Amino acid sequence: MPEIRVTPLGAGQDVGRSCILVSIAGKNVMLDCGMHMGFSDDRRFPDFSYITRSGRLTDFLDCVIISHFHLDHCGALPYFSEMVGYDGPIYMTQPTQAICPILLEDYRKIAVDKKGEANFFTSQMIKDCMKKVVAVHLHQTVQVDDELEIKAYYAGHVLGAAMFQIKVGSESVVYTGDYNMTPDRHLGAAWIDKCRPNLLITESTYATTIRDSKRCRERDFLKKVHETVERGGKVLIPVFALGRAQELCILLETFWERMDLKAPIYFSTGLTEKANHYYKLFIPWTNQKIRKTFVQRNMFEFKHIKAFDRAFADSPGPMVVFATPGMLHAGQSLQIFRKWAGNEKNMVIMPGYCVQGTVGHKILSGQRKLEMEGRQVLEVKMQVEYMSFSAHADAKGIMQLVGQAEPENVLLVHGEAKKMEFLKQKIEQEFRVNCYMPANGETVTLPTSPSIPVGISLGLLKREMAQGLLPDAKKPRLLHGTLIMKDSNFRLVSSEQALKELGLAEHQLRFTCRVHLHDTRKEQEMAMRVYSHLKSVLKDHCVQHLPDGSVTVESILVQAAAHSEDPGTKVLLVSWTYQDEELGSYLTSLLKKGLPQAS
Amino acid sequence: MDPECARLLPALCAVLADPRQPVADDTCLEKLLDWFKAVTGAGSSLLLLQEHPCLVELLFHVLKPQDLSSRILSFTLRLAGIFAAQENCFQFLQGDPSLFVASAAGQLLVRVLDLALRGPAEGHVCPQAWDWPACARKVVCHLEDCLRSEAAPRVTQALHVLTTTFGHCHGLWTQGLWARLSPLVARLLEKDPVPAPHALVDLLLSVARSSVLSSDPGLWETAAQALSRLSPTQAGPLAAGILKLQDCPQALRIQAFRILLQPLAHVLEAAAQGPGAPRLLEGAAGDLMAVDTFPPSRSACVGLLCSALAHLELLQPLPQRPSPWPQAPLLAAAVTILRFCNGSAAPSSEAGSRLCTMLVGCVRVQRAALDFLGVLSQGLGPQELVTQVFAILLEYLVSPDSSPTVLKKAFQATLRWLLSSATPPGCCDLEPYAQLVLGELLAVLQKRLCSPCWEVRDSGLEFLTQMTRRWGGQGSFRQALLGSEVPELTRQLLQDPESYVRASAVAAVGQLSSWGLLAAPSRPEHPDVPQKTPLEELLLVLTTDSEGFPRRAVMRVFTEWLRDGYADVAKDPEQSVAPVLQAASRDLDWEVRVQGLELALVFLEQLLGPLGPSTAAPPGALTQALQALCRVQLFEFALRSLFDCDRPVAQKSCDLLLFLKAKATPSGSQQEVGDGPNVASVEAALRRWQAGEQGQPLGELAPETVLAVLRSMDLEALRDTLAESSDHVERSPQSLLQDMLATVGVLGDNEADCY
Repeated sequence: MPEIRVTPLGAGQDVGRSCILVSIAGKNVMLDCGMHMGFSDDRRFPDFSYITRSGRLTDFLDCVIISHFHLDHCGALPYFSEMVGYDGPIYMTQPTQAICPILLEDYRKIAVDKKGEANFFTSQMIKDCMKKVVAVHLHQTVQVDDELEIKAYYAGHVLGAAMFQIKVGSESVVYTGDYNMTPDRHLGAAWIDKCRPNLLITESTYATTIRDSKRCRERDFLKKVHETVERGGKVLIPVFALGRAQELCILLETFWERMDLKAPIYFSTGLTEKANHYYKLFIPWTNQKIRKTFVQRNMFEFKHIKAFDRAFADSPGPMVVFATPGMLHAGQSLQIFRKWAGNEKNMVIMPGYCVQGTVGHKILSGQRKLEMEGRQVLEVKMQVEYMSFSAHADAKGIMQLVGQAEPENVLLVHGEAKKMEFLKQKIEQEFRVNCYMPANGETVTLPTSPSIPVGISLGLLKREMAQGLLPDAKKPRLLHGTLIMKDSNFRLVSSEQALKELGLAEHQLRFTCRVHLHDTRKEQEMAMRVYSHLKSVLKDHCVQHLPDGSVTVESILVQAAAHSEDPGTKVLLVSWTYQDEELGSYLTSLLKKGLPQAS
Repeated sequence: MDPECARLLPALCAVLADPRQPVADDTCLEKLLDWFKAVTGAGSSLLLLQEHPCLVELLFHVLKPQDLSSRILSFTLRLAGIFAAQENCFQFLQGDPSLFVASAAGQLLVRVLDLALRGPAEGHVCPQAWDWPACARKVVCHLEDCLRSEAAPRVTQALHVLTTTFGHCHGLWTQGLWARLSPLVARLLEKDPVPAPHALVDLLLSVARSSVLSSDPGLWETAAQALSRLSPTQAGPLAAGILKLQDCPQALRIQAFRILLQPLAHVLEAAAQGPGAPRLLEGAAGDLMAVDTFPPSRSACVGLLCSALAHLELLQPLPQRPSPWPQAPLLAAAVTILRFCNGSAAPSSEAGSRLCTMLVGCVRVQRAALDFLGVLSQGLGPQELVTQVFAILLEYLVSPDSSPTVLKKAFQATLRWLLSSATPPGCCDLEPYAQLVLGELLAVLQKRLCSPCWEVRDSGLEFLTQMTRRWGGQGSFRQALLGSEVPELTRQLLQDPESYVRASAVAAVGQLSSWGLLAAPSRPEHPDVPQKTPLEELLLVLTTDSEGFPRRAVMRVFTEWLRDGYADVAKDPEQSVAPVLQAASRDLDWEVRVQGLELALVFLEQLLGPLGPSTAAPPGALTQALQALCRVQLFEFALRSLFDCDRPVAQKSCDLLLFLKAKATPSGSQQEVGDGPNVASVEAALRRWQAGEQGQPLGELAPETVLAVLRSMDLEALRDTLAESSDHVERSPQSLLQDMLATVGVLGDNEADCY
């Protein structure tokens, strides 16, 4: 039975590390290979032992596809390819290919910096892993092998993010990765054509949320930053090197320009230049407005945002600092936080999620007295704000995408079980398709009915035409013939032609059946009664009584015989060819009811 | 358990048992389990459960059927498993759709079985089924039912549980269990198709690896049956597993090896031009093979060939690999496969041309075959074959059709063959074959260093660096290299747009110049402009490159140069090291700063001698060294680094200062602690740095001040602090419990957020 199987190793009813295995028409594809930042041992990576039990990964998997550069989607890649030993191709878009190693390297450095991280990949491994990457363009059909092809669609979310269609023959699956259905300051909205896949695997982070207008959130953010700076406070925004940080930079830069503000804005560790470089390089991936105005004004060249130096943190007066890492768990952002936390005039804005085991997590859960090294206690007096700027589709957007792609089935990943449940019902009601939400490690199996092309011989078609009926596209017609499978081709030909082609002789197949009737009369008399009975019942058929005593109806032969043991019983032998199968069965059932009493 | 944690535990258990309280971060549950494992490892579980009744309540609560998330369920099952490792008091369930829950339940079953049977088994050779406690009998009945089931998932589950059991438990009781269940397992093999083939292979291997069970002759019969019943692709892992065993019947090994060799034998048969061609399998099996057991579809055929190559590759270096090892036919097979793949083979047989159409241009097979060919370099081969190996490798290196990944593998395989060609100890001369191909190799390299693909340029540079490291001092290599444009191209790649390539170019330049192979290029257009030395060029990269990789590579080269006494550096180490240290100390990349301190440490060792039994340096040498260190401003760098926000920097500098302190303080003698104004100002600066302020530079320091400051600091205590991870406080059990309790109630829309 052909089927599509999906097993999430991560992102099944959670927003941890995305890693989804898809089997489609015998091909195995891994969608994303993400990392969980909440662990400091091998558990930060998906549990690949579920697929490495028997044999090597390279032999099992046909390819790996990475949807975008966020670490919860690509962070386990060097581990997977250089330490677990996957040696096959890895597909991603060009911007993802360029930015992915920067984030991996950034995170590797944080992991080493923190210390106590076991079994982490090295710089060399990141490089060797990136050498296995094959870059794909949007809407370009990439042939992974003879049968498997993939195609990328624009997903918004972050620079280079893509949805992928995976296709084998007539079966297809679309994986959205993370996407955004509304354009933002630097990216456009996700788009896919009406590709009608057998299955759409979609993220569902905001499965139950209709997000408040983005403008409100942005206004709120700017207001808070502005107020803090106005009263002479300092604002710390912990971020990851590249991604949403650039959206916030554009936001602040425009606001500073409009309000003619003087307070300095800094971005740590020279990442602005690097970001500028990539955003310039991949300008076709940004939104229309940025592309249009790019020649006059490059939105990624910031007038107000300068590179940060460690000495600046002690300078008096207001300032805004973007610093890495984003969860306040090591390095520069944590150092600045410690310095500024004690002053109620200051503010820290967390623009993203923080895992347990980080200072970011603690302050977001409302803890204000933090134990520091050496039994010291840090009292957090500064304001703590959480403002999500992650760009995911909300419930409306997800429904919109389902409507756009028109899938036969939907599968939800990258979200919370309770919220998924709600969206699942909504999708099933509105689109009348099945919707699944497997947990990690749970396999969803979808039966598919693949269409197999069959050639029809001209002779057979001509014969059909000769019967007088003209072909009509709207009315399917029954066509009898012999199916020949040769060299993985299927052809329907007339049985005569099949016999000729295959060099076979024709055989006749007859079905036989015995009907026992309680009757003491002689066999000849019995045959006569059968003849008259059938003659009266089967008026449209040719019923004959042959000289040898047997009765025929078309190709069906009925003979009466005596029972060997019971003289009171007669046996009717009925036999017919397969062409008269219907009539034969009917006749048998008729005889089984017995003969009418002689009048 | 510490009192603070004990205080928080009841509240936490209440939260976990409450289905309305979502656990925001699933890592918390994992970390809780880690903690419980540590706690039960240190003391009795029974005592723990008695002292904390809330734990027992939690376990009982979860057993009630209710709307619990699978996360909490699998957490509790695993928690129960941890307790069950010591105590026997739990029930189970195993049919949950989530594999992770099922897996947790499976692990619990194994623990229960082990616990129930370990006791009665003591003193008995092999306990009989009627001796087993009721709960063990129940578990075994459940497993038997599963094995008899027609539903593949149930069979798989049971096989997984058994695999874990025999993998983890080695008590005598496992003999009884296997004796009872093995007929059911053997019966699975009679079905068509064989259900759960992968799980079955895992189980057989786990039994075969068990010291208690491997003496059972029935096992080997079952394994032999499995080898013949499973398809070649399914049987591959089992065959490879059998061949890796230390001890198993020879007949089975032969059967297993045949399975792995068959696809390659088929390739050789298909390519054979005459009767004298090498064969892998002789006799009936070989002929049978040749008829056609290769799968008809291209992808299945490719898959089979790749997995056979991969298994043989892993087997080759093992001491227990089959003997005799058919090195020559395997080499021939690898070369033939590569020829099929690049279309250079012209097979006359029908099977050959079919294979050729299937394999031509297949990157997957090319990669696998090149890896295998590389591994085969560890063995010898007839001269004619080795010539063929180099020829095919060169074909791949030259071909414009080779993909970057294939090229990388071709470079790696070539290097392995080159290295193996010069095996006699103490001799680093190139073998005659290698000599022959050297010219062609350098021509290829020259071309590949100009490739538009960064991957190719980078692989080329890595290859060059490794070749030079090995043969940099060898006459014919030097001659060939200097006669090519490779050194100049390498130098130019220091300006490559791709930072990975620049870093590899730095390493290559370092290696070339340390062998004197980086001759100054002639510049006819500017004869009067002095050419930069490699040292100056690398210093330029260190101070101007915007990316971390090339700068880190520069630091590695300088450290290596200093350590190995490279001529340009050895002339005046102080002069060479000073600008490098200065640049490194200001670098934004903390790894460059760490490497700067590493370089400083090497410099110190060269001045004062390595750390040894007679640690302290003679006073005269010490004063001189200290003066040199002050001149290169090492102290300011090291002292500032001590409070670097990036922990490895602080740690490295602590190590460095401790080294210096050991050298400066003769054991036993207590020198007078200086207390001059200079010391006070340094200490004040240190306090400011510790508080996170940057402040003014220290300026000129006198050696005595340095010594006094060193003596007054408690570097040992600092080292202990720095040895901990920077988030060790946030990662403590207490902090975990606090975090889990703190999130209760405050979770709004934030919980499902991500990046």
